[in-house]
Amino acid sequence: MSADGVLNLSDTGDSANSLAVHQRIGTLTRQLHDSLNGLGLAEKVKNWAGELPDAKSRLSYIARLTGEAAEKVLNSVDQAKTHHDHIAAETRRIGALIVKDPVAAVAKGHVMNFITDVETASQKIDKHLTEIMMAQDFHDLTGQVIARVVNLAASIEAQLVQLLIVTAPTEVPQKVVETAAAAAAAVPLSFVVHDQPVLEGPAINPQDDPDVVSGQSEVDDLLASLGF
Amino acid sequence: MANDLKFLVVDDFSTMRRIVRNLLKEIGYAEADEAEDGVVALNKLRNGNFSFVVSDINMPNMNGFQLLQEIKKDEKLKHLPVLMVTAEARKEDIVMAAQQGAAGYIVKPFTKATLEDKVNLILTKLGLKT
Repeated sequence: MSADGVLNLSDTGDSANSLAVHQRIGTLTRQLHDSLNGLGLAEKVKNWAGELPDAKSRLSYIARLTGEAAEKVLNSVDQAKTHHDHIAAETRRIGALIVKDPVAAVAKGHVMNFITDVETASQKIDKHLTEIMMAQDFHDLTGQVIARVVNLAASIEAQLVQLLIVTAPTEVPQKVVETAAAAAAAVPLSFVVHDQPVLEGPAINPQDDPDVVSGQSEVDDLLASLGF
Repeated sequence: MANDLKFLVVDDFSTMRRIVRNLLKEIGYAEADEAEDGVVALNKLRNGNFSFVVSDINMPNMNGFQLLQEIKKDEKLKHLPVLMVTAEARKEDIVMAAQQGAAGYIVKPFTKATLEDKVNLILTKLGLKT
């Protein structure tokens, strides 16, 4: 072993040992290769390689959507609070005017202006509250995407467990299976994970796929072109 | 009166059901019930007095397409307008929904204005709103 902890076979000074280790690694590699082929997993491993970038782009989509939702909510809260603060300040000012001279407060239009201000601010605050509500749609959209990534992870896990059962020493695989199953059962999900995803769910990169629409206007155009 | 119409909002995500119900209320349709999938929806439709269905597509047990087919097969329900509100953005899904008798198709994420436009357009076509 070298000073940095890296195994250096030449350090042993025993070339026969090195050769044995190399041969053992070669044998294990061959066994793994044969096991993968024997189980029909080689093709699946190739598929995982293709699906993992898809999973990455789905996770990026989730990160983007949740980030945008948080941003929208915070912006709307900021704006709603500004309107709320304005009304609170105006209420104090009009209250003081009424206490000082109620007749003048009405006659000079202060009270009426205040009522108009309150109505306008209420409408604006209501609009922001609707925006905050609409921002929560990320839960539905990301939930569908997460369910697909969970399905992919579960599929990879199942295949890896199968591989472990074949390649690991006799008593270990059962423990691994139990641990994996227990861990999977313990994960609380707030959404339904379908056994067989039938539909595609949200389009992650609609601009890259001519078969999907990128927004409501395209839906309307498509339906209009069909006479609907 | 259009404002007395009773809506059924079908979606497996409770968040989305609440959003759609709240939006319907904001645009003047306060009467609404919810269902979490097509099976529950069909049961409610057969036992209730609904005028309008707003349905998701990707749901467990019975998806939105299957629900649409069941509604259109049922003599008592086939007159109901069904507005699909879904994340399914494939053109073939949109065409299929139209061919199966959906009254409209909204792709998520959507805005309050889009929902209001589509609901009012459908009601106007059906003569339920002037």
